[in-house]
Amino acid sequence: MQKLLKLALMDFKLIFRDPSLKSFLALPLLLFAIVIFGFPYLVTEFEGVKPYLDVMMVVVLVENTQMFCFINSMVLLDEKETEVSKVYGIVPLSIFEFITSRFLFPYLFTLLLNVAMLEVQTFYEVPLMQNLLLSAIAALIVPVYALGINSFVKNRMQGMVYAKAFNILVLIPFAAFFVPEQFKWAFGLFPTHWLFQGMDQLLAGNSPFLNLGIATAYLLILLIVLSKTFKRSHFS
Amino acid sequence: MIKVENLVYTYPSNEAPTLKGLNFEINTGEVFGFLGPSGSGKSTAQKVLYKILKGFSGKVEVNGKDLTEWDNSYFEKIGVGFELPNHYMKLTGKENLELFASFYPKALSQSIESLFEMVDLTEAINKPVESYSKGMKMRLNFIRAIQHDPDILFFDEPTSGLDPVNAHKIKQHILNLKEAGKTIFVTTHSMETADHICDRVAFIVDGKLVATDSPQRLKHQYGKEAVKVELVKNEVQEFPLADIGNNQEFLTFIKGKEVKRMQTLDATLEEVFIKVTGKSLIG
Ligand SMILES: Nc1ncnc2c1ncn2[C@@H]1O[C@H](COP(=O)(O)OP(=O)(O)OP(=O)(O)O)[C@@H](O)[C@H]1O
Ligand SMILES: [Mg+2]
Repeated sequence: MQKLLKLALMDFKLIFRDPSLKSFLALPLLLFAIVIFGFPYLVTEFEGVKPYLDVMMVVVLVENTQMFCFINSMVLLDEKETEVSKVYGIVPLSIFEFITSRFLFPYLFTLLLNVAMLEVQTFYEVPLMQNLLLSAIAALIVPVYALGINSFVKNRMQGMVYAKAFNILVLIPFAAFFVPEQFKWAFGLFPTHWLFQGMDQLLAGNSPFLNLGIATAYLLILLIVLSKTFKRSHFS
Repeated sequence: MIKVENLVYTYPSNEAPTLKGLNFEINTGEVFGFLGPSGSGKSTAQKVLYKILKGFSGKVEVNGKDLTEWDNSYFEKIGVGFELPNHYMKLTGKENLELFASFYPKALSQSIESLFEMVDLTEAINKPVESYSKGMKMRLNFIRAIQHDPDILFFDEPTSGLDPVNAHKIKQHILNLKEAGKTIFVTTHSMETADHICDRVAFIVDGKLVATDSPQRLKHQYGKEAVKVELVKNEVQEFPLADIGNNQEFLTFIKGKEVKRMQTLDATLEEVFIKVTGKSLIG
C-alpha cells in the first residue's frame, strides 16, 4: 500500500514540475466557468439553445475527463521516452499495482470533478446516487485513454498527435444526437456513445441504466485488454 | 547461481535469432563478463536473464529454479544497472532512488546518503537529475541497482561514459560486491574492465560464445611463455621462461649490461580476442 502511495504522489510531483502539464490543471476551471456562468447566460440570451442544453452538458462532462487523460498519457510517455519505464520492469511491482497506483488518484479526482459539475449546474435535478454512478463510469475514460495512447505511441511528439485524435474519438458519438434515429446505433462502436446516451437519458429523467451498463462493460473490457497491450509495450 | 543452456532468442521484429545457442554458468560469488563487439548480443542476453525479454528457447535456471517459474519475488533478488542512464529528469537524485527503493519489501541496508557518498554524488543528491552529467547519471544507475542489496547483479557496460577515476571506483565497488558474495554478470567492450574485475569472461561474437575462461588463462594460453629483454643500446632478445635461471644464453645476455626493459610476453586480452574471434573489439 505504501509503495502505491509513493508512486501516486510522485506523479503529482512530476505534473507540478512540468509547466505544460501543470497548465492543463486549469482545464476544469474553464469548464466550471462555462457551466456556472456561460450556460445560464446562453439560455437567457438565446432561447434557441435550450433544446441543446443537455447535449452541451454531456460534452462538458466528457471534457472534464480529458484533463487527466492528457496529463497521464504524457507522464507515461515521458517515462517511456526516457526509458525510466524499463526500471518498472525489474522491480517487484505487478502490472495491477502499477496501473492502480498510476490511475487511482486521477480517476478519483476526475470522478469528483464530474460529481461537482453535476451538482453546480442548475438546469437538471440529478439524484446524488445517479450522479455518483454516472461520474464513476465517465472517469473510467481516463485509464482507458492513457493506456490506449501508451500502447501505440513511442514518444511525446507522436503522443500529441494521437491525443488530438483520441480526443476526437471520444467526442465523435456526440454526432449521434443529430442523425436520424435509425443510424444512431452505428455510433455504438465507440464506447463513449453509450455513456453519452446514458447521460442524456439521466438528464432527461429517464432510466439510464441500460446504456450506462453497456458503457461500463465496454470500458472495463477495454481497460483489461489495453492493460495487456500496455504491459507489452511499456516495460521493454 | 545462474545456469544457461542453449539459449536462443529472436526479437519479434527480426527473422534471424540474435542469440544463437548460448551455454554458460555463473557461480555464486563470481564476476562473470560478456566481452564482445557492439551488436553481438550482450545486452540482449542480460535482458533475457532479467526477464524483460520473454519468449526465448533453451533453459535458464537461477538458484536452481527455472527462470519462467520465478514470480515477482525474482526482482527482489536481482539488481540491474542499465546500459544507458534512465531516471526521472524532473526529480532529484534522492527522489529517484527513494521511489524505486519503496517497491522492495526489505528495508534498505544502507542509507541513501551513504550510497550517494560512495559514488561521489553527495553534492548532487538534492539536485534534479536533468542537471547531472552523463557520468553522474551512470553512477546514479549504479547505486540504484545495488540499493536493495540484491544477491544477483547485472551491469550492462557499468563504466561507459565514466572518466578513468570514476571508472576505477566503480570497478572497485563491483569487486567489493563480489567479496560480499554477490553473483555478478557484467557486459563490456573494454578489455581493461574485463581483465580487471572478471573471474571469467566469455567472448561473444554475433550471438555465439567462442571462448569462456579466466582472463589469466586466456592470456596465458594465447601468449608466449617468454621474456623479452631490451638493452639500453637497443639490443632485443626473447628467452623462454622455462628454467630461465639456468639459461646460460639469457644470463650472458644480461650480465654486466644496462637493461632498459624486461617483460613477459603474455598476450593482452585484446590480442587473445582478436586471435580467437578473428575480429577486433572496436566496431
Ligand atoms: N528491440 C530490438 N528489436 C530488434 N532488434 C534488436 C533490438 N534490440 C537489439 N536488437 C538487435 O540485436 C542485436 C544485438 O543487440 P544488443 O543490444 O544485444 O548488442 P550489444 O552486444 O549489447 O551491443 P552494444 O555493445 O552496442 O551495447 C543487434 O543486431 C541489434 O540490432
Ligand atoms: Mg549493449
